[in-house]
Amino acid sequence: MKILVLNCGSSSVKYQFVDTETEKALAKGMVARIGMAGSVVTHKPHDRPEIKVSAEILDHIQAVEYVITMLMSANHGVIANKSEIDAVGHRVVHGGTEFSDSVLITVELMSALRSLIELAPLHNPHNIRGINACNVSLPNIPQVAVFDTAFHHEMPPHAYIYGIPYVLYKRYSIRRYGFHGTSHRFVSDRAAVMLGRPLTELKLITAHLGNGASVAAVDRGRSIDTSMGFTPLEGLLMGTRSGDLDPAVILHIMAREELSLHEGNTLLNKHSGLVGISGVSSDMREIVEAAVDGNQPNAKLALDAYCYRLKKYIGAYAAALGGLDALVFTAGVGENSPVVRGMSCSNLEILGIAVDDEKNRLAVGKEMDISVDGARCRTLVVPTNEELVIARDTERIVNATKG
Amino acid sequence: MPGSKIMVIGAGAMGQGLSEAIATAGHDVTLADKTTKQAERGLRGIDEAMDREIGRWGLTQADKKAIRSRIHPTADLWLAEDAEIVLEAIPEDLEKKRDLFEKLDRICPENTLLITNTGTLSISEIAQATERPQKIIGMHFLNPVTRIPLVEIVKGLRTDEATFRKAVEFAVMLDKKWITVNEYPGYVTTRIIVPLINEAMHVLMEGVATADDIDEAMKLGFGFNVGPLALADQMGLDVVMSWMMNLLKELSEHRYNPCPILRKLVRAGHLGVKTGKGFFEYDKDGNRINTTATVTVRKEIR
Repeated sequence: MKILVLNCGSSSVKYQFVDTETEKALAKGMVARIGMAGSVVTHKPHDRPEIKVSAEILDHIQAVEYVITMLMSANHGVIANKSEIDAVGHRVVHGGTEFSDSVLITVELMSALRSLIELAPLHNPHNIRGINACNVSLPNIPQVAVFDTAFHHEMPPHAYIYGIPYVLYKRYSIRRYGFHGTSHRFVSDRAAVMLGRPLTELKLITAHLGNGASVAAVDRGRSIDTSMGFTPLEGLLMGTRSGDLDPAVILHIMAREELSLHEGNTLLNKHSGLVGISGVSSDMREIVEAAVDGNQPNAKLALDAYCYRLKKYIGAYAAALGGLDALVFTAGVGENSPVVRGMSCSNLEILGIAVDDEKNRLAVGKEMDISVDGARCRTLVVPTNEELVIARDTERIVNATKG
Repeated sequence: MPGSKIMVIGAGAMGQGLSEAIATAGHDVTLADKTTKQAERGLRGIDEAMDREIGRWGLTQADKKAIRSRIHPTADLWLAEDAEIVLEAIPEDLEKKRDLFEKLDRICPENTLLITNTGTLSISEIAQATERPQKIIGMHFLNPVTRIPLVEIVKGLRTDEATFRKAVEFAVMLDKKWITVNEYPGYVTTRIIVPLINEAMHVLMEGVATADDIDEAMKLGFGFNVGPLALADQMGLDVVMSWMMNLLKELSEHRYNPCPILRKLVRAGHLGVKTGKGFFEYDKDGNRINTTATVTVRKEIR
């Protein structure tokens, strides 16, 4: 099956056109600056060079039209006809409490998605726009929603409830949801394959370390806890997000500096984390360089705080799982930073974690077991592939509805 | 509406705020003033405002760079010919505004949305300077535009429904809450805040309480973010007085008659934050310096 995988943001649409038989992307790209001056489309067929096109793209409908035009283009395309697109898979950020799996998009589902806007006001409206755009441009082609939250759906109540009045949970559905579920699920599956054991026997900790970062405790294939919460702000220290902090801190700062809600929000989401502590960058590569240079003492501090926070979560989730078979690193930092992996795994022999320095150094952007021989808990590097999961789910759901 | 070409005329505080808000929403904007120098001074003002917002954690350097790249200063009013939306934000002077709209009427194609940003003047009177009064509408944004989520959409007597709908669409594009106002002096916001400020000045003049205590009372007692006297300082005492004079002229109500303290401060050139002194004192960044008010009843009045 050939699946168009879409990730629709406020002003961008990222896409991959995936052949589920070969599990390869035939083309990938992005439409940027939708509804703004200077919209631009970047398109890369798997066997030809990348191209960039400037265009006037006013809304998501035009953006999706553009994507289809690119896929069918004589010089840069990979299909001859719209009908070669068998289905569309959408990344949808928030599935609330309802959705434990990917679902076929129907009229009823759309109203359920709209009711979730309050939980993800920054993301779900754009996901909905993308779906509506496909209704217009690709009528009668089945669409599937794949939720970032679904993998964490079976988290037990003691892991998702916050220590605030229960009535607020009932009134506003305030609880931990977790994100990056598609990625945590994908790397869990891969880890089982690499270990040569069924997932249903394994206790795993998966660390998705990208611009946003989260850790999940995966017990026999089920996420039983994860570090992101009601929003993606909780948990690990990230590129520009604070992660965990005493909630009184933000109340205190907002009162002292007389900040608005918007300013308080951007303070924690855009000015904090690595960039906030270091004053250098939100990019881990630059933080590591500056930490080695030693000219920017706070770069070292940011790196130390980042790795220490991660280490605490590894310890906590090993306790939550009651054992640990493997620790998995994925996403930009997880796949490419031996320094971060090495530091966050140091002195964890008590959990059976022992990283081989040489293997760690070599594991950059590829699947690899980086533990020392005989380590009780395996430490793995697994490049994530969320688009492939979305394509696979879309195929599965579409086939199931065909009966 | 998204992707529309937008022009702001007048690079003063209001024009700067509008341009920044439009560019923040992701749109290109041409910022016009009489000379290139004035337009560029406007751009520098926007830079400074964004730097302050970065200091308050509301923006990042990357945001600032992107926003700035969308604002294009010019002295060429004829660029309005290509614009789909033109916002006038020149000083509150009826003759100057009428004069500008007469020019725009000659420059702009018939479908251009022509908006006047005024707090007190008559939309109908401004619109009468053109051959298309039904296409002219008022949008009263409040300063600082980027921080205040409200806009009053003001229908002149002859403004048509299509023009009103376009104005609503523009407000939504800028992520502003809007209210509909039928043209009448002072609309809603100015009409109600002006007598409140005037009354606060009378309370001060009559020696009922100090300026600090008056502001404190209104802040704590009624949940105002800023007290009425500090608010007047922020708006500019000359501006506040011009509103009062306008309302007095239009409605002949004594409550709009500027309090003698206000008249006195304006005559002395103490115009509030922008001159460093009004009811309170300010440094060049606009922060209060003395904790006590500069205008005390004993010194100034008795």
